[in-house]
Amino acid sequence: MLETNATSLEALLAQVALGSRDAFDALYRSTANRLFGICLRVLAERAEAEDALQEVFTTVWRKAAQFDPTKASATTWLAMIARNKAIDRLRSIPTRQARASIELAEDLEDPGASPPQQAQAATDRAQLENCLERLEPRRRSLIRAAFFDGLTYEELATKIEAPLGTIKSWIRRGLMQLRECLGP
Amino acid sequence: MNSPNLPPGESGPEGPEPPPDDVLAGEFVLGVLDIVQYRAAQARVDSDHAFAQRVAEWERRLGPWLADIEPVKAPEQVWGRICARLGWNEGARAPSGFWQSLGFWRAATVLSTVVALAAIVWSLQIAHTPTSQVPPIVLQPPPAQPEPGAKPVTPLSHDDGTPGWLASVDSSRGTVLMVPVPSAPDSQGRVTELWLIPAGKAPRSLGLVSINKSYTVTVPEDVRAALVAGSVLAVTLEPATGVPHAAPSGPIIAKGVI
Repeated sequence: MLETNATSLEALLAQVALGSRDAFDALYRSTANRLFGICLRVLAERAEAEDALQEVFTTVWRKAAQFDPTKASATTWLAMIARNKAIDRLRSIPTRQARASIELAEDLEDPGASPPQQAQAATDRAQLENCLERLEPRRRSLIRAAFFDGLTYEELATKIEAPLGTIKSWIRRGLMQLRECLGP
Repeated sequence: MNSPNLPPGESGPEGPEPPPDDVLAGEFVLGVLDIVQYRAAQARVDSDHAFAQRVAEWERRLGPWLADIEPVKAPEQVWGRICARLGWNEGARAPSGFWQSLGFWRAATVLSTVVALAAIVWSLQIAHTPTSQVPPIVLQPPPAQPEPGAKPVTPLSHDDGTPGWLASVDSSRGTVLMVPVPSAPDSQGRVTELWLIPAGKAPRSLGLVSINKSYTVTVPEDVRAALVAGSVLAVTLEPATGVPHAAPSGPIIAKGVI
């Protein structure tokens, strides 16, 4: 039966790809809190984040067969789907209010990450941090704000009162430095 | 590092400008594009494989950042809404623990059937006589001392826990003997296709599997290494044409871990 060997997220996704609802159920229970955290970070509005989370999992159900473990870890793949759905929704909201800072963290454990996965995630995370540290502080903080708050070039320019062209140039150079540091 | 053979725009690390597509893919993943540019890039991800590849690379580079975000308890009602959206009966699978005990009872009920069917598979292997009719179920355990070389049996169970097929894997020969518990054909005319899913990898089709006849499936050589404990055998309903398919598209009707 399913419960015996299929504990890693990769194995669960492979079974979801075949239409296993048991695996989908287990995947939800393992990752929903983490993915909801990501949706809420981008969207702030709780109802919006709930809708985004719903879209995340219906997408995972449909696209699980496209997951390729040689290209990304399941953790990253799922997290990026969550972020993409949240950004997509954010862009679709016509009038956006200024985001308040959010402190909703409830210190939940993430049962989806087994120790080896956590170790790999920590290594990837450390590598990214290492490369970010090499960026000029201003580029670094801009890229961070863009990524975590889902701010567009225009919004960033307004926020820090700098010309749009300057912002674009800083971020593009920062991205290219990151690419060189992190590899293809 | 800079090679004179690089095409225009593909400069090495010291080069002046990276290719614009890579910038765009990075901007797309970073989330700085406005709605118009964002939608245009999104459309390209769906239609332009090379661009989708660049986006995937950026997701891999920046994705680990998302580990910094603290989990927040997902509201209870979301699971029900997901089930409703997928057209499922949400009450059947609430994300609580109750189904696990239910699963225990299902397993207990099914166990005797599995044991009996295992005896049948075993006798089929010894006799080497393929049959079109599965004999009536006899509630006898298999012989206590199987012959040397007896193969382990994997039940492929339906969602309710009842067995749909029994698979006897011979990894040395690269074959799988499939014994169905006879069932009705799909009302929509779809066929039953067998899949082998190595742990953490994409499913591979092993071709059609019968719903009322037992026979031996020969596994393609390049996937024989996956005939090991931990891989999954599963049967899905698929369109009758184009078998073996590259990837499953229909619902899973039975599965089991080798």
